[in-house]
Amino acid sequence: MTAVDRHRLSMHHSEVQVSVELQTPDMTLNLGPQHPSTHGVLRLIARVDGEVIEEVEPVIGYMHRGYEKIAEVRTYPQITALVNRIDWVSGFANEIPFMVATERLMGLDVPERAQYIRLILTEMARISSHLVFLSSFPLELGAATPLMHALRERERVLDLIEGVTGGRFHPNFNRVGGVKPAAGAGSTQKKVIQDLPIEFLEQSRQAMQYVRDVCDDLKDLVVGNEIFMERTKGIGIIPVDKALAFGVSGPNLRASGVPFDIRKTDDYLPYSNFEFDVATGENGDCFDRYTVRLEEVIQASRIIDQAIDSIPSGELQAKVPRIFKVPQGEIYVRAENPKGEMGYYIVSEGGRGPYRLKIRSASFSNLSVLPWLLQGQLVPDVIAILGSLDFVLGDVDR
Amino acid sequence: MSALFDGFWALLGLKVLVSLLVILNVALVIIFAELKISAHMQSRVGPYFAGGRYGWAQPIADGIKFIQKEDLVPRDADRPVFKLAPMVVLAGTVAVFVIVPFSPTLVVRNLDLGVFYALAAGSIATVGVLMAGWSSANKYSLMGGLRAAAQLIAYELPLVLAVVGVVIHAGTLSMSGIVEAQAEPFFHLGETAIHLPYLFQGQVIGFGIFFIAMLAELSRTPFDMPIAESELVMGYLTEYSGIRFTMFFLGEYAGMFAMSAIASSLFLGGYYFPGLDSATFGPIVLMAKVGLLVFVMIWFRWTFPRFREDQLQSFAWRWMVPLSLVNIAVTATFKVVF
Amino acid sequence: MTANPSELAERVAGVVGSDRFSSDNGTAKVRVDSDHWLEAHQTLGAEMPYFSWLSAIDWATEVAVGDPPESEDVESRYEILSCLGNVETGELVVLSTDIAKDDPSIASLTDVFGGANWHEREAAEMMGIDFVGHPNLTHLYLPDAFEGHPLRKTFPLLSRDVKPWPGTVDVEPMPDEEGPSTENPEDAG
Repeated sequence: MTAVDRHRLSMHHSEVQVSVELQTPDMTLNLGPQHPSTHGVLRLIARVDGEVIEEVEPVIGYMHRGYEKIAEVRTYPQITALVNRIDWVSGFANEIPFMVATERLMGLDVPERAQYIRLILTEMARISSHLVFLSSFPLELGAATPLMHALRERERVLDLIEGVTGGRFHPNFNRVGGVKPAAGAGSTQKKVIQDLPIEFLEQSRQAMQYVRDVCDDLKDLVVGNEIFMERTKGIGIIPVDKALAFGVSGPNLRASGVPFDIRKTDDYLPYSNFEFDVATGENGDCFDRYTVRLEEVIQASRIIDQAIDSIPSGELQAKVPRIFKVPQGEIYVRAENPKGEMGYYIVSEGGRGPYRLKIRSASFSNLSVLPWLLQGQLVPDVIAILGSLDFVLGDVDR
Repeated sequence: MSALFDGFWALLGLKVLVSLLVILNVALVIIFAELKISAHMQSRVGPYFAGGRYGWAQPIADGIKFIQKEDLVPRDADRPVFKLAPMVVLAGTVAVFVIVPFSPTLVVRNLDLGVFYALAAGSIATVGVLMAGWSSANKYSLMGGLRAAAQLIAYELPLVLAVVGVVIHAGTLSMSGIVEAQAEPFFHLGETAIHLPYLFQGQVIGFGIFFIAMLAELSRTPFDMPIAESELVMGYLTEYSGIRFTMFFLGEYAGMFAMSAIASSLFLGGYYFPGLDSATFGPIVLMAKVGLLVFVMIWFRWTFPRFREDQLQSFAWRWMVPLSLVNIAVTATFKVVF
Repeated sequence: MTANPSELAERVAGVVGSDRFSSDNGTAKVRVDSDHWLEAHQTLGAEMPYFSWLSAIDWATEVAVGDPPESEDVESRYEILSCLGNVETGELVVLSTDIAKDDPSIASLTDVFGGANWHEREAAEMMGIDFVGHPNLTHLYLPDAFEGHPLRKTFPLLSRDVKPWPGTVDVEPMPDEEGPSTENPEDAG
C-alpha cells in the first residue's frame, strides 16, 4: 500500500471522515428545524460550496394543524376563535377577512362603530407585528439593542389591545356582524353591554406618540448604521416579475417597487375615510423591506390617530341570532395583513359551518420564493434574507 | 547558585501568581461591567439578585455554575486537541500581560523587546481557536473556526503596523520606555511644559487602526462572526461547556483587559498623567484609561450589527493595511524632519 | 373592489374564451374547460401576472365529516380554483374548472406561474390530484409516509371516529327568552 494509504489508516476515525467531507466541493448544511434564526420550525436543506449556496429546499409542515379540515366541522363563530392563531404575531388581523366574507355572504350591514373599532385594532396588530420584525431583524445581524427598545413600545400597544379585547395575541373579539358587544356572563346574569374602555382612546393617542418616537430611534440606530446598510443593501433582491409570479405580497412586494396595498383597492374596512401613504421601496432588497415596514408603522399610527378622532357612536354588532346558517354561495375576501395578503375563500352550502374554507396565507406565498431567491447567496446572507421576509410558521403551515 | 535560584524563582512565582489573580479578578469585573452597561443601554437593569441589589456576585455565581458542570467531550472529537485548545487561548492572552507596566517599577518583566513580545504572544490565541474549531468534529464549529482564523490572521497585520508608528516615535520597543517617552514634555508654552500622549502627538490614525484591529483580534462585535450566535449557534465554541468554556470566556475578557492596557500604554500615556506621581498613582491612572477603552468596546458591541466575513476581510486588506503603511511613512518622515 | 366584478368577469371570460362566468357576492368567477386550463392561464397571465393561490374543492353528496351539502344537484367532482390578480388596478378573478373524480389530473401551471409550484403540491397531497408536468410533486405538509388525502370528503377526522358528529344540535334557550330562531334574525341577547 502507498504511504498515503498507510497514513490514512493510521488516522483517527473522525479525522478520516472530516477530510473526506472536505475533499468534495459540496457540503449539505441543514438549517433547522431548531435554529436560533429561522422563525419557527422551518428546515432548510442547503447544498453549499464553501459559503455559497447552490440549492436549497425548504421543508415545511412541522406546524401543520389542518385548519381547512377542521373548519368543515366547526360553525362560523367557532372558526373565529381558531383563525387568529394562523399568524399569531398579528392575531386580530387574521379574523377580519373571514368576518367580512361571512357577513357579505349573509348580506349583513356592519355598524360603523364596529368597523372603526376593527380598523383601529387591525392597525394596532400591524404595529405590533412590524415592531417584532423591526427589532428581531437587527438581532439576527448582531445588533441586540433595538430589540429591547422596540419591544418596550410594543408592550404598550399590546396592553391597549388587551384592555379592549382581553387577549394580547388571540383576541377573539370579532363576531359575525361586528365586534363583541357584551361582557360575557353566566347564563343567570343579565348581559352587560360593554363598549370600549373609557381611557382607551386617550391612551391610544399617547401610545401612538411613543411608537413614533421609537421609530425615530430605530431610524438612527439601525437604518443609518453603515454596517447594517452593508449587510442588507443589495442582498436578496426580488424582482417584480418574480414577486408577482410567486404571489409575494405585502411589504415584501412593496419593497420591490410595486405600490399595491389592499387597504386602498378593496373596501373590507373603511380605510377610504383616512389619509395615509403607501410605503414603497426601490430595489427589493433586505434594506428596503426594513424601511418599508418602518414607514408602515408610522402610517398605521397616523391612521389610528385619525380613526380615534372620528370614531362614530353606535351599535357594536348587527342583529344576528346565536345559531345561524349562512346562505349558499361562494366568496373570496382578502385583506392587507401585516405579513401580506390574507384571504378566505368560503364555499357555503347553507350549513352552520362552511362546506370548504380555503385560507390564503401570506407567508406561504412569500416563502415559496425561497428556492429561487437563495440560489447563489452566501450563508450569512441567508439569515438576513430569511429575516427580512418576515414570515411566521403558523401562517406558512396553517 | 542556590541563592540565585531562591530569590529569582520565588520572586517570579510571586509575580506570576499576583498577575494571574489580578487578571482573573479584573476579567470578572469587566464581565460584570458588561452586563450592567449593556443592560442600562437597553433600558433594563441587568443582574439584580446575586449579591444584593446590584447583582455584583453574578459573575462569581456564573463561574461556580460553570465549574461544577459535567465534563463533556464529543465522541468524535479529537480528545487531546479538544482539551488543549482553551488552555492555548488563555495562555496566549495572559502571556501578553507580562510586559504591561503599571508604574515605573510595577511590571512583571520589563523586556527590551516588550512590544514585539506582546504582539507575538497575542497571536498564539489564533492557534487555539483553530484547534477548537477543528477538533470539535462539528460542521458548524469547523466553519466558525475557519472564519475565526481567517479574521484573526487578517487583522494581525494592521495591529502590528499601527504599533510600528508608535515605536518609531518613541525610539524603543520597551513598553516602559514608550510610556516614559510620552512622559517627556511635547512642547513648552512659556514656562509650563505640555505633555501629550501619543494619541494627540499625531498617532490618531494609528490609534484608530489599533483599536479596530484590537476589536477584531478579540472577536468582539462588530467582528464577532466567529461566534455569530444567530447563525452558527456558537461557532467554534459550540461543543464546549463547563470549565473549558469558562477558560474561553475568561480568555476573551482577560484579552480585553490586556489589549486595552497595551493600547493605553502605547497611545494614551500608560501610567503617566501630568501632575501626578507615577509611582503612587500609576496603577490607578492606567486602570482608569483601561476602563475607558473597555467601556467603548462594550458600547460598540451593543450598538453595531456584525460584519459579514468577506466584508470584514476586504475592510482589513483594502483599508486598514494601506492606511497603516501610510501612517508609518508619515510618522517616519516627521521623526526625521523634526 | 375598484373594478366592477360583473364587468370584470365578463371581460376575463372573453379573454379566455369562456361563456360561463358569475360575479356573486362580489367575486368574479370564470369557469373554464379542463382542457383549456393551461391555455387560459397563459393568455390571462399577460394581463394578470399576480398569482394569488390555487386550490381545489371536493364536491360530494356523502361526507365523512361535517354536514353534507344542502343543494340537491351537487355533482360529484373536484373543482380546481385559481386566483389571479392585477396589482395596478386591484382586480381579482377566480378561475375554476372541473375534473372527474375517477381520474383526477390536470395540467400544471408551474411554467406560467412559479408560485403554482407549492400550491399544487399542497392540493396534490390534500386531494390526491395529479398535476401533469409538475417538477416535484412530493409531500409538502404531510410526512412522507402519510397515506390518504386529508381534505377529501371521504377522509374522516380521528376525533370524529372517537365521538361521532352530533348533527344539528341546537343550544338551549336562555332562561328569559324563547328558543333561537334561524329564520328571522332576532335580538340574540
